[in-house]
Formats: sequence, C-alpha cells, structure tokens
Amino acid sequence: MSPAAHRAIPPETHELAGEYVLGTLSAAARREVEARLDNDAVLRAAVLAWEERLLPLAGLADPLSPSPRLWQRIERSLNARPQATTPRATNWWRGWDTLALWRSLAAGGLATAALLAVVLAGRLAEAPPATRFMVVLVAPDDRAPGWVVQASSPQRVELIPLATIEVPADKTLQFWTKADDWKAPVSLGLVTPGRSLSVPLDALPALQPNQLFELTLEPRGGSPIGKPTGPVRFIGRAVKVM
Amino acid sequence: MPASTADFDYQAALLACAAGERAALQQLYEQEGARLLGVVMRIVRDQALAEDIVHDACVNIWTRAASFNPALGSARGWIYSVARNLALNAVRDARREITVDDDTATALDAQASLEAWQDMADAFAWQASAGRIGPCLERLEPVRRNCILHAYVDGLSHSEIARRLEAPLGTVKAWIKRSLAALRECLS
Repeated sequence: MSPAAHRAIPPETHELAGEYVLGTLSAAARREVEARLDNDAVLRAAVLAWEERLLPLAGLADPLSPSPRLWQRIERSLNARPQATTPRATNWWRGWDTLALWRSLAAGGLATAALLAVVLAGRLAEAPPATRFMVVLVAPDDRAPGWVVQASSPQRVELIPLATIEVPADKTLQFWTKADDWKAPVSLGLVTPGRSLSVPLDALPALQPNQLFELTLEPRGGSPIGKPTGPVRFIGRAVKVM
Repeated sequence: MPASTADFDYQAALLACAAGERAALQQLYEQEGARLLGVVMRIVRDQALAEDIVHDACVNIWTRAASFNPALGSARGWIYSVARNLALNAVRDARREITVDDDTATALDAQASLEAWQDMADAFAWQASAGRIGPCLERLEPVRRNCILHAYVDGLSHSEIARRLEAPLGTVKAWIKRSLAALRECLS
C-alpha cells in the first residue's frame, strides 16, 4: 500500500485495527472486525500495518517444542481434506451425506472444538439437567461458531445465537435438520439474526446423535421449494451430552 | 534446527504451499513451529489447547496460502496473524467478560491518580527482541509499555491488564489507546 493511501486511513480506523491486532477487543468486537475485513480495504490495510509493526514483539515469547506427534496430526488432517472446494451447487444438500465437508470442518476445527467444549460446559452449567443434545453451528469457511442448538427434550430444540451476523435485506436465514436416514432436510422455520428460536419437533422422529442442523441463506419468506436452495451459512451435527 | 528468521524464505514457503507442495509446509513447520507454539502458549496458557491451535493454524496456512498477497505484508507476519487470531479468538470466547463502557470506566477512575504507576518496573525483557519497534517502545513510560506487552504477548484483555497492574480500567484503556497512537507515530 502506498504512503498516500496510508495517510487516507482515518485515526479511528488505526485505533480499531491497533486494538484488534494487539488483542484487546472483546469477542464480539473481534468478530465485527473480522466480518468487515473482507469488504473494507481501508480497515484491512490498517490491520496489516499493525501486524507488521507489532510482529517483532512475538519474539518475546520463548519457543516451545511441540510434541512429536503434532506434525503427524497436521499431516493426517491435510490428508483428510477434500480436493474440491465446498459444494455450492443448487442441489448441494445432496452432499450432506458425503464426508468431505465434515472432514474439512473437523480438520480445521480442533481448537474450535476445544473452545466450544468450554463454552458448552459453561452453558451446560446453566442449562436444565434434562439437556440431552447439543449442536454447535459453525460457518463452513472459517469455522467461526455462530449458533448453539440445545435440546432439553427429544421433542424441542432451542437455537441460540453466539454472534451477530448480517443478512442481506432481500434474504432470510432458514433453519433445517436432517437425520442420517432421512431422504432430505426438513425446515424448522425462519430465523432472525441475533434472536433465539424455540422449535417443537413433535412432527419429527426423536433427535438422533449425529443429526445435521444448519442455517442456509434463502429468499425472503423462505425456500420456495421446501428444500435448501442457498449457501450454507452455519452447519453442525448433534452430539449427545451426558 | 531452525534457520534464522533472516535466512528462511517465508514467502517462497507460502507460495509453495499455495501450489500444493506439502514439503514446504513441513519446512515452515520445522522452521517456525516451536516459535508459533511459544506465542500461542503465552496467550492460551494450556499446552494441549496451544497445540490444537498450532494444528489449526497450519491447516489454515495450507488452505489459505493462496490468499496471501506479498504486496500487502510480510509472509512471516501473515503466518503469525493466522495463529494469533485463532489463539485470541479462543481466549476471548472462553473468557467472556462483563464489559464496562468507556464513560463508566472513566467515571470510576476519576478519583485515581495516574502518577502512582509511573515508576513501575519493566515486566518484560523487551530490549533484545524488539527490533525496529524497540526505540519506540523505549519512549513509552514503563507502565504503558507493560500494558502493550501484556496485551500482545500475554493476550490479556483491558480488564485483565487492569487487575494485573492494579490500575483502574479506564486508565489502562486510555494508556493503551495513547500508546498505540504514539507507536504508530514513532514508526511512521
């Protein structure tokens, strides 16, 4: 970036980018910055500049030898990755049963999983003892957790937002589920970003371990064909909790 | 034994990763793995989680290497930003905090004297490693320098730094804000 362009960065952008790279922003503020980075070249330039400025400070942490198995784990994860990119075709949901997407989520998501265990433990402490299934819905591309699905009985699930997300004005988020032996996903209704949603499952078979849940971006009013048509924004599988 | 950071071609390694050369990622890991783990460990303070994060960082580096743009920043900076962001997101998400807005914090601190902290000793032996930013850090008062280093190196939030330094939260926020501005000015 040219010096002239650097001068065009407003002071408050330098400040936000500086706190972001330094690490002092809250979880929510970090997510906001990350959401803006794709489309905001000025903020991106400010962040990159701070990363360069502060990088020498990384040398203050003493190196720590990784356990010998870490590289093997990394290699295994790379081997498990699909060659193709995430399916985005019209009938992408047919790919739900392929392992590729799940492997790719799992491969990059160990830390996410570890962190979610912490979040879940916290939530479980508050949740009624009857909670039996948990699902963490993560974004397919960066695996950022966006929602938790909590089932306090096999016949009702609650969708709880973990982060604020933006949906284009002419679109809506739609909530779907599919168990392994179902032919197609079933809609659980439309979702307002940032709001919890409680959904009765009376008309569906009881929840199963591994059952898929996800949010897709659909035309306003929901998918016109009763099946997902838009890109997956968040996806996860049900895990039985003790 | 890793090469010195000046001798290793990080950019070539990333470009080779983008081209699908697994050996390049392994070389990068051998070169930088221990340093990355050290940086992540300081932030998350748990070796199993730190290794998970370095694992995820390497997978991300591999899959996103093609998005690295050498015109916008250094390859080594990019690699560290991938790992640090994963580590910071992990601790910020896990250690959710009640945040006090700036006005309230300032009001709470109105009685506090800033003078008391000016004689604080350095908490980091930063002089040897700080490189180009060293002279600029040197211009900050030790307590402000400690705020910056506790944030960057230890991954502490504003309120964690305030507790560590036994300084008022609003003061810590103001110190960090002004110190960042001073560092930017000094490095420009």
